[in-house]
Amino acid sequence: MENSLEESGERKLQCSDVSKCFQLLESILDGNDVPDSKEILKSKLAKCQPCFEHFHLEQAIKEVLRNKCTKHEVPSELVANIRQKIEEIK
Amino acid sequence: MSEVQRKKYTEQEKNKIFDGEFMPHIDSMYNFGYRLTFDEDDAKDLVQDTYLKAYRFINSFEQGTNAKAWLFRILKNSFINDYRKKSKQPSKVDYQEVETYYNSDDVDYSMTSDLRVDSVKDMLGDEISNALNSLAVDFRTVIILCDLEGFTYEEMAKILDIPIGTVRSRLHRARNLLKEKLRSYAQNMGYNTDEEG
Ligand SMILES: [Zn+2]
Repeated sequence: MENSLEESGERKLQCSDVSKCFQLLESILDGNDVPDSKEILKSKLAKCQPCFEHFHLEQAIKEVLRNKCTKHEVPSELVANIRQKIEEIK
Repeated sequence: MSEVQRKKYTEQEKNKIFDGEFMPHIDSMYNFGYRLTFDEDDAKDLVQDTYLKAYRFINSFEQGTNAKAWLFRILKNSFINDYRKKSKQPSKVDYQEVETYYNSDDVDYSMTSDLRVDSVKDMLGDEISNALNSLAVDFRTVIILCDLEGFTYEEMAKILDIPIGTVRSRLHRARNLLKEKLRSYAQNMGYNTDEEG
């Protein structure tokens, strides 16, 4: 058997309920409080190829977004301006 | 709300809350402001207004609760009320696209993407950033709140004043649109996608 087949051999190629599964996976990935999330994640990723692929793609996108879109430097005068305005309204 | 029931902070307490709980979020606030307005001066004004409002209404903030979410909600409301009309948003924003999406009840979870994990990981900051910026403001906002800032759906629902179900579906739609963008960038970069083959 080919390697790639072996790797996904345990996983079914069709997801039984793609809406429900993807929603659940995204909830977990997004840090929401999902009961038994660790077990759900483990079993879905092990058993279902579409779930496995969806999760890893979403995870990768989330990671690049966080790493590449949050490093906007705050203009140096902004904090000073805010403090000055606050002193004025105090 | 009676003055008696409302907790009043002393001047000293106000300063402590402001410095200890509000100011540490200035980076996130500025990033949010900039990604909403695409303009440095507008973003500065928006963030400054937000902090002034936060100070003015500090008595309605419960110490120890989520200051970041509270501040984001103020900024979002200021943006809608004061800036949305005059913001230098590119005219290419596709409102038709938004309308079509909002008017459909079902979220299409079956839409698969042939975008690959490897090509996502190799993308440049500019490409990711441009893809995000190209989304209509409501879609861009949910991605910023969720993926950049790590808010939960419940927190997002409060910040945006929409039900959790709407947060969920809007986020999913936003992600589908973002993936489409990234996919076209990946194709331009010469990555093989399944469709090309
Ligand atoms: Zn599945």
